[in-house]
Amino acid sequence: MFYRKKITLVILFTMLIGSIAMGHTIAKKGLRADLVLMPKFLGILVFDQANEGAKEAHSEMKNPGKLLFLGPTPENSVAGQIEILTTATTQGQDGIMISNNAGDQIAPAAKKARAKGMTVVTWDSPIPSSDGEQLFIAQVDFNETGTVMADMALNIIGPSGGEFAVLSASPDASNQNAWNAAMKEALKAPKYSKIKLVDLVYGDDQSEKSYNQALALLDKHPNLKLIMAPTTVGIAAAAKAMQDEGLCDKVKVSGLGLPAEMVSYTMNGCAPEFALWSFVDLGYLSYYATYLLATNQIEGIVGETFKAGRMGYYTIEKDPTRDKGMRVLMGPFTVYNKGNVEASAK
Amino acid sequence: MNDLLRKLRPERLRELVLLLLILVVLIFFSTVIEYYLNARLFNRVSTSVAIMGVLAIGQTLVILTRNIDLSVGSMVGFTAYFVGQHLSQNNEITPLVAIFMAIGIGALMGSFNGFLVAFCRIPAIIVTLGTMALYRTLLVEYSDAQTVLTVNLPKWLLDLPRVNVLSYERLNLRLMVAGMFVVVILFQLILRNTSFGRKLYAVGSNPEAAKNSGFPNQKIIFTAFVLCGALAGLTGFMFLARFGNITVVAGSGLELKSVAAAVVGGVNIFGGSGSIFGAVLGAVMIDLLENSLIRWLQISEFWRDAMLGMLILTSVATDSVIMKHFRNYRLKKTSHTNS
Repeated sequence: MFYRKKITLVILFTMLIGSIAMGHTIAKKGLRADLVLMPKFLGILVFDQANEGAKEAHSEMKNPGKLLFLGPTPENSVAGQIEILTTATTQGQDGIMISNNAGDQIAPAAKKARAKGMTVVTWDSPIPSSDGEQLFIAQVDFNETGTVMADMALNIIGPSGGEFAVLSASPDASNQNAWNAAMKEALKAPKYSKIKLVDLVYGDDQSEKSYNQALALLDKHPNLKLIMAPTTVGIAAAAKAMQDEGLCDKVKVSGLGLPAEMVSYTMNGCAPEFALWSFVDLGYLSYYATYLLATNQIEGIVGETFKAGRMGYYTIEKDPTRDKGMRVLMGPFTVYNKGNVEASAK
Repeated sequence: MNDLLRKLRPERLRELVLLLLILVVLIFFSTVIEYYLNARLFNRVSTSVAIMGVLAIGQTLVILTRNIDLSVGSMVGFTAYFVGQHLSQNNEITPLVAIFMAIGIGALMGSFNGFLVAFCRIPAIIVTLGTMALYRTLLVEYSDAQTVLTVNLPKWLLDLPRVNVLSYERLNLRLMVAGMFVVVILFQLILRNTSFGRKLYAVGSNPEAAKNSGFPNQKIIFTAFVLCGALAGLTGFMFLARFGNITVVAGSGLELKSVAAAVVGGVNIFGGSGSIFGAVLGAVMIDLLENSLIRWLQISEFWRDAMLGMLILTSVATDSVIMKHFRNYRLKKTSHTNS
């Protein structure tokens, strides 16, 4: 009995030593860092959820500094993001977390922020060239997103095959572009040979535009069987459009959606299957990484491992989905269908 | 000939030309797009025009007084969200109450615009540029990042876009389209047959003369803005019914389209001339082009806005060049016969 206890202790001790030796950083609490969380724009539910996660981490760290949630207004997203980043630099904020909606146009402002010693971390959507960005917190592996989308398409269209189209957000959103590219890549595998991607359109994350685009897709492609929308706004708008036209039997909708917004369409068969990850966790993890960087507890180099509170250990790696840049991969996907959507919508 | 010329006022000519152009567009696209001319096109464009048309009527009232309202998109968004949220929380609200709620909120926002323009004498473009951002931010703050979801909306509202008044084969006249016609007729009557309508034109075509004739210019401008707000509110309600999911970006961009509809429809941007019917035709033209261009694979995403821009420029240019010549010609011809 006593012996076994001793062994357990030894094992625990070894694990502890081991973790220190491997350079696992456990965050020191109470260090001061003024941080800014910047969404693509204000007023979208998932970004607010990310803010909840960041606030949770902020209070866990007992950071005496401030955590601000600053975003541009929707119609001014690109210019507004650059402006907020520039202002944050001038104000001397210690770090910023960006869900980039401005493509590479934000890179010069990000580089200036870095030159002033500010920590720049991206989450949700990276800077494509990674210029000015220290780290990207990837919600899921972007290549995996492509496979998940292709799999859902195959699942819904069925083995006999058919046509489908993508309804994306905006042509400037680097995450959307990466996912669409990854899906096209995945579709080359032989098992998808019978499903055919016929079109790619943009709804700009506006309900009305996405709705009209979904209807136009039907007209352009009379044999369309599925609309794949990797955006929470687009998928809900497309589902409403199919329901309004009474076409849910013919054309299905899938993509990335929020259970609360999609539950009725999943139950009535318009959108039998869709996927997403937790945005609360994404905000939480982004905060940890940024806090650690801003307080110099990690350097932000490949191979570094740190602990993000309740979510456990994460390692910084080279981002395989971009030419340059580093990432921390969160994951995984949750796929929603009739079986689990109602419970998740609560 | 002269008789015909006298009857054919420049406004009528514009409307006729526009009708002809709409036909040309239809014929053109039916040759380049497969399965183009069918019942679905009519149903879709008409429902979409119903929303744009009501808004364009409001915009026309303001433009007639030599002003402009750039905040209509934000007003539509705010109303759609506000009414949607109340209907989500309380499904018992009756349709009529919901509609009046929407019109009321719109009118309230419109009256703020009107107050600043008419009584504080601030140029409309400045005021409404400001309130465009103001109302949008109000919506962002008010919504607290929540989305109005179709799940929570009452069934009658979700079914509204599908309700038909008349149906022939597969052609449907939707209730919302019929609603727009009611608004069109109502405002056409107001403009043609009431003293308010005539004053609206007078204030726009010559403010000094109108003032010297003892017209309460400022009151008329104020009323135009309130009515425009009220119609934007009604548009917000229709928008909610059609799209269901309302986020904070709802309705953004509609300000440009409503101005475009009015201008393409022959409403003079410098005030004083134009008609409700013309503005609705303008809305039809823009919507038809939009709906057709997104189906025409040759035109990329980025060119579509440019096409809209070119359309606005062309119609304003035609208005000032051709119409001026036509007016002079008509004046010469008809005055000859008179003398």
